[in-house]
Amino acid sequence: MRKKTFAAAVLLAAATLTLSACGSGDSGDSPVAVVDGGSGSKRAATVLDQPFTKPDLVLTDTHGKKYDLREETKGHPTLVYFGYTHCPDVCPTTMSNIAVAKQKLPKSEQDDLRVVFVTTDPGRDTPAELGKWLKGIDPDFIGLTGDFAAVKAGARTVGISVEPTSKDKNGKLVSVHGTQVIAFSPKTDAGYVLYGESATVDDYTRDLPKLVKGAKP
Amino acid sequence: MRRPALTAAALTGALALTGALALAGCSGSGTDAEPDAGSGKAKLSVSSPYMPQPVSADMAAGFLTIANDGGAGDELTGVSSEVAGQVTMHSTVGGAMAEKSSFAVPAHGRLVFRSGGDHLMFEQLTRKPRQGQTVTVKLTFAKSAPLTVEMPVKSATYNPSTGH
Repeated sequence: MRKKTFAAAVLLAAATLTLSACGSGDSGDSPVAVVDGGSGSKRAATVLDQPFTKPDLVLTDTHGKKYDLREETKGHPTLVYFGYTHCPDVCPTTMSNIAVAKQKLPKSEQDDLRVVFVTTDPGRDTPAELGKWLKGIDPDFIGLTGDFAAVKAGARTVGISVEPTSKDKNGKLVSVHGTQVIAFSPKTDAGYVLYGESATVDDYTRDLPKLVKGAKP
Repeated sequence: MRRPALTAAALTGALALTGALALAGCSGSGTDAEPDAGSGKAKLSVSSPYMPQPVSADMAAGFLTIANDGGAGDELTGVSSEVAGQVTMHSTVGGAMAEKSSFAVPAHGRLVFRSGGDHLMFEQLTRKPRQGQTVTVKLTFAKSAPLTVEMPVKSATYNPSTGH
């Protein structure tokens, strides 16, 4: 009886092996080939010939206090992103990539860096909501909310176009995020490097040590 | 008396399973919706599923690729999961996402959900999925039988092209 049970187990194992042996060729369409070629060869950063002036944004931070972007971040390396918290994909990924990369910097540089998330959905992203969300990513990140028109105008000065939250045909609220992160230099306070949404945690990890010094990545 | 009978049944079952698995494994695709490889039918399989660990328990995104090795197109018409009250499908263009009720899976083609592009959105989460867990996702199609996918939860910064 015991023997038979073993026989069944062996057969089952054989079947499983057969499956995985034959199956392995089918499922490998993407990962293997891309491992080495991908992010290393292609730079995520775009260095601007004509840097942007820092947007003149005076909004409300996650503590409910007035926050003047130019005044508060003057002389600090600063990353600015326009997004919203009811965003499943790009917004949390972008902020998480920066958060993880930031952890690799020396403590003094981490403290010097300002990472500012400006909401494009102020109706839903109250200071409290924004604070709760950012706390899940990096409690030191700055979240700004306020009048949508002011956010939109500020975004436009750095080449980012956003639209107000609207309702789709099912009555669901749909918001729009920016597609770029802008890095501002601590030396000039100008926005001199852009990162698209395909920038990975490795890209930020490699570039942040340069960005905190105002150097070109 | 009962025990040997059960064991014999298990043995028969295992033998049957051996045949079935060997067949599925060698027929060219891991998770067949249609065993028939005839050119007139869609032949769907899913690869590279993952969910980045979400920031909160409010919502999460999911990504996967559906390949169609068959000679007829099909449509992904619905997605559901045990972790979400609702799973919706979205296309993304220039920072704006739009919900869609179906996505085409063309004949001899692929439907790719990837970060920054089309994605699945898990809402009304029953729990916050954490890295290392898996989430069961059911895909329903206009023609083919439904597919069930075990979607691994990866880190919040996971990128399938770098693999970490």
